Amino acid sequence: MELITTEILALLFAALRSATPVLAVVLGEIMTQRSGIINLGVEGQMLVGAMTGFAVTATTGDPWLGVLAACGAGMLLSLVHAALVLGCQANQIASGVAVMILGGGLSAFYGIPYVGEKINSFGSFKGSAVADLPVIGEFLAALTPTILVTLVSIPLISIFLYRTIAGLHWRSVGESAGITRNLGHSPVPYQFAAIVFGGLMSGFAGAALAVDYTSNWVEYMTSGRGLVAVGLVIVARWNPWYALPAALLFGVSESLNLRLQSWCVDISPYLLATLPYLIPLVVLMLSFRGLKAGGGGMPKGLKAVFQGN
Amino acid sequence: MKKAIKSLLASTLLAVSVSAAAETKVGYIYVGPKSDYGYNYAQDQGRLYLEENMDDVETLYFENIPENADVQRVMERMIRSGVEVIFPTSYGYLDHALKVAEKYPDVRFAHSGGLKTSDNLMTYFAEIDQAMYLAGIAAGMTTKTDKLGFIAAHPIPQVLRNINAFNRGARSVNPDVTTAVIWTSGWSDPSKESEAASALIDDGADVLTGHVDSPINYVQVAEERGVYSVGYHADASKFAPKGWLTGAIWNWGPMMVGIVKSTQDGTFKPQHLRGDLLTNAAQLSDFGDAVSDEAIAEVTDRQRMIREGDYQVWAGPIFDQDGTVLVAEGETMTLEETEKMDFLVEGVIGRLR
Repeated sequence: MELITTEILALLFAALRSATPVLAVVLGEIMTQRSGIINLGVEGQMLVGAMTGFAVTATTGDPWLGVLAACGAGMLLSLVHAALVLGCQANQIASGVAVMILGGGLSAFYGIPYVGEKINSFGSFKGSAVADLPVIGEFLAALTPTILVTLVSIPLISIFLYRTIAGLHWRSVGESAGITRNLGHSPVPYQFAAIVFGGLMSGFAGAALAVDYTSNWVEYMTSGRGLVAVGLVIVARWNPWYALPAALLFGVSESLNLRLQSWCVDISPYLLATLPYLIPLVVLMLSFRGLKAGGGGMPKGLKAVFQGN
Repeated sequence: MKKAIKSLLASTLLAVSVSAAAETKVGYIYVGPKSDYGYNYAQDQGRLYLEENMDDVETLYFENIPENADVQRVMERMIRSGVEVIFPTSYGYLDHALKVAEKYPDVRFAHSGGLKTSDNLMTYFAEIDQAMYLAGIAAGMTTKTDKLGFIAAHPIPQVLRNINAFNRGARSVNPDVTTAVIWTSGWSDPSKESEAASALIDDGADVLTGHVDSPINYVQVAEERGVYSVGYHADASKFAPKGWLTGAIWNWGPMMVGIVKSTQDGTFKPQHLRGDLLTNAAQLSDFGDAVSDEAIAEVTDRQRMIREGDYQVWAGPIFDQDGTVLVAEGETMTLEETEKMDFLVEGVIGRLR
């Protein structure tokens, strides 16, 4: 029994570790989509963040500087999406794909000198004062800084979105930019902020992956996790509180894929490898069953992106 | 005066062209960055060795060239700039190289790992599974839990050879050892590789190795969690000063020098050149502090036996995972059979398909 508990705990921590970069992107993309803008470029923003975070950590020796630089890099690249979508009224899907490809290429090119570098990362809180805290100390000791920052950002984002005037405007822009305009507010500053905030979160997610989680930079190391996050926004129903379970769904399935293999479960590794995509898909189908069309919390403004009106 | 200048000019031109004729230009093409601390890094170390050890050779290289028609354009560009010998170092370049080779019969090609040749294209590779077998001996003598972990990309023959060789090496000194395999379904996915390493350690493995593009991820996780690691492709000991045991690494330099020399003196043959522990094309890296003297002695002894031909890594009996005999006692797998390997041996935990 004790063995099973340890295994389950290990699985949960593993899930949290691999879910964190995805969770950060989901949170950022929820905020972006809540303003009526969809950004598929998060994958490229993540890569640029990962490369910049790793490079700055390798050069300065300070992982916190690396994380800050990664956030900045993600924001910078998201400006391209903002310029194309808000400035030129470009198609959001096309612009997002362009940003995704641009970010992949830029990070691969500028990251070449840093491949194979050794960096000193955060390490966990084991042995620090945090680990001595009563009750939660043991739990916290198994985490790393970027996991904590991401978890803390959930209530902060929720409070902003649901409990502040600015958050109310933000949401109303996403429901109908036209009505916002009629009320005398311009939707553009909100949408601009929403895209740049998405850039910040995906840049941070890149750093969580390269600086904290793996301490390594390899080109295209996100392997589609940014796009997975865009899909998980739907599972999370555009609600920051649901972002954690949605991202954990991916994290648990990815860890299960690897752990079931080491537990010698008699299932083909090819089938197991589909788990991280299959499980969220099934949950999506089950949770949306019986909802009316357009339900599930989708901001009405997004309809135009998908239906072209 | 004018005449003097003319003749001076002429002789200078002559001198330039003479030195140009003596220089052999050699071109390298890599599928990834040459600093990947893995496969491409090892090939590039061979290029640097070539430059250092041959005065009349000039090299150039291209990195990150995908395995599609792009590589043909890169080869043609190299040939136009005077390259006479090309090393297309990735497996997927083979058919493209064959096409370009047909078009330019005077240029020589040496492809890494392929099983096809043409008049001016040869292949080279090395039996690194011998080094993995030796590393397995070191792992089998170091482990306290009798559990080893292997992080593998795809179930292709080259990877299966390394898993099986590593496990057989370990069991030759410690019959209780098992090797658990986790497939990551990708050559380079740092996040999955780190998580696979954690999963293996959580299940009790205390020596990790793998066959993915770069050993950095699992070696770093092993070091952080206080267990041992065996590298692959390139020496990653700087990432694990405490837990590094050894690594199975490539040493392409001498082989590449031999190939380039054969193009210069006309002895180039369209052959499958295969190096091994004896030619040092595949070898063990230096031992880490964590390896006992006893283990070093055992590994060194077995290495000598393999080099002298007294011991074969693929000599029977070889059993599959449920104990069925695959290779009977007294028989040995041929090189061709090992290059088509499609099974996991007894003691390996994991599924192939």
